[in-house]
Amino acid sequence: MQNNSKKKRLISGQMLLFEFRNVIGNPYVHIFGVGMPVLMMIIITRAVAGEMPEGPILSAAMTSIFLGIGALIPMATIFMGYGVSHAQELEKGIPQRLELFGIKISVTLCNRILSEMLFMIIAFVIYFAAGYGFAEVEPPTVSGVILYLLCILVLSMILFCLAHAISSLIKKFGATYCVTMILYFVQMILGGMMGISYDNMPSPMQAVAKLLPVTYINRDFGTVWKGEHYNFGPMVQSYLLMGAAAGILLFVTLRKERRELH
Amino acid sequence: MLLSIQNLTVRYGADTVLSIHSPVEIAEGDRVGVIGSNGAGKSTLIKSILGLVPYQGMIKTGLKPEQMAVHMQFNEYTDSMPVKYIMEAILGTKISRDRKLQELISFFEFEDCLRKKYTKLSGGQKQRFTIILVMMQNAALTFYDEVTSGLDFETRQKLVEKLVEWYQGKDASFLMVSHYYEELDQLADKLLILDNGQVIDYGGREELFRRYCGRAVIITGNTERNMTLLSGFEKLASPAHLIALSCESEEKENRIVRLLLEHDINYKRSNNDIEMLYINAKARADKAGREAGGMPGSGGKENHAK
Repeated sequence: MQNNSKKKRLISGQMLLFEFRNVIGNPYVHIFGVGMPVLMMIIITRAVAGEMPEGPILSAAMTSIFLGIGALIPMATIFMGYGVSHAQELEKGIPQRLELFGIKISVTLCNRILSEMLFMIIAFVIYFAAGYGFAEVEPPTVSGVILYLLCILVLSMILFCLAHAISSLIKKFGATYCVTMILYFVQMILGGMMGISYDNMPSPMQAVAKLLPVTYINRDFGTVWKGEHYNFGPMVQSYLLMGAAAGILLFVTLRKERRELH
Repeated sequence: MLLSIQNLTVRYGADTVLSIHSPVEIAEGDRVGVIGSNGAGKSTLIKSILGLVPYQGMIKTGLKPEQMAVHMQFNEYTDSMPVKYIMEAILGTKISRDRKLQELISFFEFEDCLRKKYTKLSGGQKQRFTIILVMMQNAALTFYDEVTSGLDFETRQKLVEKLVEWYQGKDASFLMVSHYYEELDQLADKLLILDNGQVIDYGGREELFRRYCGRAVIITGNTERNMTLLSGFEKLASPAHLIALSCESEEKENRIVRLLLEHDINYKRSNNDIEMLYINAKARADKAGREAGGMPGSGGKENHAK
């Protein structure tokens, strides 16, 4: 068969470029994945600056807000953006059409996740440029910046698996949009990004909030950013729990999607 | 043997949508036309072979999934980029560096469409886009599911001409579902006749024609005058506006033709008309079903030509 050797490669330049074009062709990710976090970060840090005297406390508050809102980028670009676009493609039968051309789901998934990550990195570069341009974000320690990027990266992968599983199980654009949007806002609210901080939440809300990685990114990363001592135990547990849920859902989905040829 | 189907049953919920008992075998070089009315199970057959629907029974093939190519009834692609990039990604090649792909693009006159997005293509261009991708797969067995449906007459004709030209002299096998018998006339050498999820018959076109229509058929308009004139001849099943006469022998054919010429009546003679073949195969199956005490279309099937 023609070009067989190229198709068998899990990651190829052409597939990567194809998936990247797919990502940037989705207007949603530009609006909610880049525009909205930048805008929110500027508005909220300005509002905080208006109410607090200049000094180290203001910088710390701004840094914390900046890092917390940064978590919206993978939630919008990957969780909602990919989820919705994949559901739309499923509705049209595009993934199946690609599979019938001999492009395996594993190839599509690998190239797509890399493309999503690439887009997210670009979104973060813009976000950081805006952050350092418009807000008084404290300079990080090396360990702080590495840990922040690592946490965002792992969260992104978990969110990608969740988005793929949810859209594959629902298979409808409208319903997927609704479910991912609800989960997006639930994470924002419980993560303390919508006005109620973790400490002010009622205890049942806190019980759920502490299961979400975004809570720790929003609440605690100011400490990690500066290289101060931090107990990563609860945060790692939240990652493991969410990762396990996403992994199980993805496994079930991939098994359901498998073609059976005798 | 490329593919063999036996005791195949496909169910959607409680409904059995396809049930094939006797073996249907596709050999290398076979060009099989699949005909039947809507809901006959044609697309379901392709989907079950490709493993897209769950089924019971046996579909035996030595072919790997990537050795089978398919042009589905509906083919959709992302609209985020021009089709050129989709083509290159799917085929894992660059148009500028691939001579075979360039030839195919030129053969199907697709050069001007490469910069367009998929939704901006016309119906015929969309079909040609998928055909190019399917043909580049160079598969041992290709499935075409209503490749020309929704196209206007001229576009349909052009597309079929291109397919005929492309397959000329090649030994590739395909299975083509179509409601347009004239397309299969040009492309298929075997026919699989489905009705209501069951096989009416499967075999070589000529063989099936002889079985259901005789050596040749004479077709003329169904008028009162023609009916009276031809009252002495046994009629084949035919569309309401036509009269079809089976010519089992040359002598009988001559008698009918002479009679029609004497009365200056237009007629058409054929020894491979797929529409007549289908109508009569279905009529015979329905009759056998009624005689067996079942509903029309539910019995007397699976007459595979040997």
